[in-house]
Amino acid sequence: MLRLVAKRLLGTASRDIPSRPLQILPRLYHENVIDHYNNPRNVGSFDKNDPNVGTGLVGAPACGDVMKLQIKIDEESGKIVDACFKTFGCGSAIASSSVATEWVKGKSMDEVLTIKNTEIAKHLSLPPVKLHCSMLAEDAIKAAVKDAEAKRAKMNATLKGADVKSG
Amino acid sequence: MASRLTILRRISILLKAPPSTTLRSLRPSLARRFLLRKVLAPNVSPWICAAASSFCSGPLNLPQDSQGPAAIDYRSVLSEDEYHRLANSTIQDLQEKLEEYGDVVELEGFDVDYGNEVLTLKLGTLGTYVMNKQTPNRQIWLSSPISGPSRFDWDHNTQAWVYRRTKANLLKLLESELEQLCGCGIKQLEQLYRHITAQEKNT
Repeated sequence: MLRLVAKRLLGTASRDIPSRPLQILPRLYHENVIDHYNNPRNVGSFDKNDPNVGTGLVGAPACGDVMKLQIKIDEESGKIVDACFKTFGCGSAIASSSVATEWVKGKSMDEVLTIKNTEIAKHLSLPPVKLHCSMLAEDAIKAAVKDAEAKRAKMNATLKGADVKSG
Repeated sequence: MASRLTILRRISILLKAPPSTTLRSLRPSLARRFLLRKVLAPNVSPWICAAASSFCSGPLNLPQDSQGPAAIDYRSVLSEDEYHRLANSTIQDLQEKLEEYGDVVELEGFDVDYGNEVLTLKLGTLGTYVMNKQTPNRQIWLSSPISGPSRFDWDHNTQAWVYRRTKANLLKLLESELEQLCGCGIKQLEQLYRHITAQEKNT
């Protein structure tokens, strides 16, 4: 019986496709968004336990968007040498976080805190309803930087403690 | 108000923790509890909760200030029913006010549309406002051509929708922005709060 139902569904589907004309939808994704969606930059993960890696995790599955953005800091210069992301959400959210990872590379932690959601939204020509995605990407950057700074502070405190003990 | 709630909850969790637990080992479990409590809404399927707990394996930043996202158990702040009543009242009253406003202000391309619980206000070439409910967070989300995205929580003390980061009041913000954009003030938008809370008391 299941096979019959499946055949019928497939049958109707194949009958519909040739007759339906191509519909042009009134809302389109900007080509930058499509580019980042099809060719996302810097997808991946770093070791979160690495003392030089800052992890920002924002959003919640119940809301429909979760972004994890990680930055790798160069110990000496304090600059961001690498970044990666993983995002669960709409095309605009994926594109926003992908753009964020591109923009943070090579910058100092103070500099990336000045990246505004409005800049990301403008670059991707996000429609009003998707501006929240760009804000989430800005929040992800801030959270990653905060985590990296906290780790550095902790590391410095541990080193100072070790110096005091040995001295 | 909500940040005070977070602090109180954190203190109570720390007090309940065994004395030998270090702060470092407590943070991930704290973070997991916060995120899982937020995620475990009645209509969320178990596999999403499992995914969330594996996702949230790193330390969650719970800032005191308004810079980053704050993980709060919204269900204890506002019940879902109460939230729907308040949010629906706000959006529907606002829709009526905006339709009246549209008759007063002669603006080409002015349109107010309400569908699928999303209120869209088009101001022609001046921009578009989108307002929608975000039930899991008990928030109203607004997208403005002037101030960009904002997320408003219901503040019990002031009986208004407030954006924590900027302390902006939803209806006050709309009043000032519409006056700025259209050159014509929308009268007494803030009075709607009285109507909303009066309805709330009657139910």
